[in-house]
Amino acid sequence: MDAVVGRLQQVVELLAVSQLDCVNEWDHQTMLRAFEWAQYCEQVHARSHANPALRSALESRLHDTNQRLRETLPSYSPVMFSELAQCQHKLLVNLLRNPSSPSSIINIFSLDRKTAEQWLDMDQTPVITGKSALKMLCCSSDRSSYSGLQVETEVRGKLLKTHLKSILTQHGNENSARILLDSILHDSAGKTENLYDVMAAALLASDDDTNNLSRDVILDWLQSHDGCLSKLCRSLSPRLCCILSRESVTFQRAYCDVLKRWANSLEYDVMQSAWVPTCSITSDETVTFNVLFDRFRALLNSGSPVKEETETKLAELKVESGDFNVKGISVWTDLILQLKV
Amino acid sequence: MAAFSETEVQFWTTKAVSWGENTSCLTLLDTSRHLNGLRSFLQKLLQGLQQMSSTSEAMRTFPFVGQLLGRLCWNPCVIVDERSQRLLLRCLNCLYSAEPLSAVERKANMWIKNLLCHLISEEEGSVAHATVKHAGISPERYHMDALEKVVSLMTEEVIKSCDGSPNSSARCSNGNINTMSTACIPLVTCCQAAPLIGALLKHSIICATSCVDEEFIEEVSKAWVSKRLVMEEEAVVALYCHNPVCLEGAALSLLESVLCDPKTVSLSLDKCVNELLLPQASALHCHIFLTVNEIYRNVLMEIDENIALRALIQVYTNCFLQRLTSLKPQDGPPLSAFFPNLPPSLLCPLLTAPSDVPRTAWLDHLSWIRRSLQRVVESEKEDRDARAYQAVFDAWFLLVQCGFWVDTAAELLVLLESENSEALLWLLTFFHHPTNRGHQRSQQTVVAKEAWVHIRMLFYARPPLPRHLCAVKDLLSSCLSRNLVLHLFLNFAVFSHGPVSFTTEIIDKVLIDAGVKQRALWILSAIDCRLNRTAVSLEARVQSRLKTLRETLLAPCAETLP
Repeated sequence: MDAVVGRLQQVVELLAVSQLDCVNEWDHQTMLRAFEWAQYCEQVHARSHANPALRSALESRLHDTNQRLRETLPSYSPVMFSELAQCQHKLLVNLLRNPSSPSSIINIFSLDRKTAEQWLDMDQTPVITGKSALKMLCCSSDRSSYSGLQVETEVRGKLLKTHLKSILTQHGNENSARILLDSILHDSAGKTENLYDVMAAALLASDDDTNNLSRDVILDWLQSHDGCLSKLCRSLSPRLCCILSRESVTFQRAYCDVLKRWANSLEYDVMQSAWVPTCSITSDETVTFNVLFDRFRALLNSGSPVKEETETKLAELKVESGDFNVKGISVWTDLILQLKV
Repeated sequence: MAAFSETEVQFWTTKAVSWGENTSCLTLLDTSRHLNGLRSFLQKLLQGLQQMSSTSEAMRTFPFVGQLLGRLCWNPCVIVDERSQRLLLRCLNCLYSAEPLSAVERKANMWIKNLLCHLISEEEGSVAHATVKHAGISPERYHMDALEKVVSLMTEEVIKSCDGSPNSSARCSNGNINTMSTACIPLVTCCQAAPLIGALLKHSIICATSCVDEEFIEEVSKAWVSKRLVMEEEAVVALYCHNPVCLEGAALSLLESVLCDPKTVSLSLDKCVNELLLPQASALHCHIFLTVNEIYRNVLMEIDENIALRALIQVYTNCFLQRLTSLKPQDGPPLSAFFPNLPPSLLCPLLTAPSDVPRTAWLDHLSWIRRSLQRVVESEKEDRDARAYQAVFDAWFLLVQCGFWVDTAAELLVLLESENSEALLWLLTFFHHPTNRGHQRSQQTVVAKEAWVHIRMLFYARPPLPRHLCAVKDLLSSCLSRNLVLHLFLNFAVFSHGPVSFTTEIIDKVLIDAGVKQRALWILSAIDCRLNRTAVSLEARVQSRLKTLRETLLAPCAETLP
């Protein structure tokens, strides 16, 4: 096992090195060997699923290696354990982006049989074709599922859910699942609305997951992440949130809490005779009274049991906030009045 | 060097720019429709680039190349098309300098590497990138899984949109089907998309108001006929049924491979024939069989002595009959529907498989065939009108189709004594010379008998006597009956007793000319197919002998070796 762990460390270091200038010293053989090592690393990763002892040894060595590399290389971004399944791909991308890489790197894409033979497993045609086929098909289908989500989003959501499920069943621990979601969030820094759509799709994806563990993990993660759930709810349409509420009681409750928080962020402006947002909620988009109104109206229109539960909840909240029947004092009263509940 | 016209370059660069500006559905559809033309242009470009001695020269000669290739690489429709993808990658390879000599070349290299990187990975910071990166599997696997899911969703949608019932046309969500089918034009040969392709094809057939894109159907046909696509039998049969152009294309493609491709003769002919599922489709639909036959008949009228064509017709019919008998007989039309204008007295004996007749009864059966044919021939002699002539031709064509009976006759001639040979020789003669052209019928009959005698003596005398060798060689090279003699000769080679070495020695001495060898191979091909069909377990001796003979003939001639 030591040898395997040791080799893993070497591969991670190799991945780091592949981004540096020193690769201009690599000759063709060195490059071939690097890809062989990367392939080996992928096999080790696959084996580790069935071997918890191996897996934890690998993870711990990975953690140490990441730390060390971060100290020596300022721009180093740590490699996660799950990424080792894509070792060859990462190596290839690193080398392609690196101006100093040996010029024979391009031979991986060669269609000449003799040249391609050297690169046995590295045929990139399936990735290239698969990626563009996906794009083509997703563009051409204007099928909006009943949830209003695009095909691409739906599919990525389904795959995410499947992956989460397999992590949870294999390792039985939710920590890995959470780390996964953290990483995805981190890496989609620019486009969080798309991410929330994908997460909604993951929440909606149905399969024979009888105990809905993965769904709960996602919701749990959203709630524990500062503001994420709120951002997600804000980003998704009222209708989609209703659909999610229908599918999952947990989501419904969480959604209600979010709506409560939104409501509590409003205060009554006597001059305008309206409820206005204070600046303390999420910076992305402010929540106005109308937004709240739309949300609740959608909930009330989504049939039993959500309708009844929402009505009950609203009544409760009205009572909690003083049970006023006059406008301008409790946001709940005003909402109820406007919703004509 | 292929010259590029200014308009051509302008057209494609403008197209590439307009496609690149937005990856909307309409853009992708427009690209789909232009793929054929684009491929030709890229092919020319590639040839031009291949003649450049350096990247710098290439960029001077084709200043548009960088922008064009770059934009095309960002167009998923172009990339997903197998052939265009290959052409683009080859072009990029040409522009890459293994040893860059200038800043321009180094920059070009980096640009190409970035382009390749873009092809295999997602844009950083996007959700697509993040989900793929952390999927715990290779990107290849991820995209395969994703594709499978999308295809399944879309297939479901296509199936739901039309169930083929007569008044469902109102429910057909036409617009989307058209878009999807156009988008699928470059995906026709993508195996993950197969369920969707099949569903769209089916939709075009069962839905009365289907607006599956015409070009999509054409693309499927072309891909199938040129064997770039694997399809389920049901879909192929439906395609042939509803798309006569496709059916003709398939029939002609098979014909071409037999007549023009020298490699085909070394393959198993029935595998060839079955590859495009023509016998299977013919057994299910009368009109398909009639269409294919019409095509082959017309060609045969022009080149009736062509052995390869005859072998094709024979094997095709044989495969077809096999399929037909395996179907439930009461469901289908009667045999006479498949063979119109022919009297039952001919159909009955000829359409019976030799394996269904006990070997001891072969001679009688063949006599029956001979009598039926003779009656038709005699009536032509009497009537001498166009209808009678047509009847003879039809009868003869049926014999060609059921050539396995002629082969059976030839096989019998190997072992028979001379008293019973007359009917068999008649059949052989009629088969090879149906018309009394130049009143050669009597001459041909004499030649047939003579050939048989000589060939017999050749094979039964050990060692082979030179005068018999000479006689047979003469007969083979004479214009009068060379196909008949060759036919007989080869049957002796396969079915006579005696050591194989003896036979191969004779073959080496007699069949020298390359053209003769080629024709011999076709005859052996047909014999092979017939023997494979027999239910009775064949003597291993004959099988191995056949194999050896084919190998001998396929081996390069000793005289042509340096």
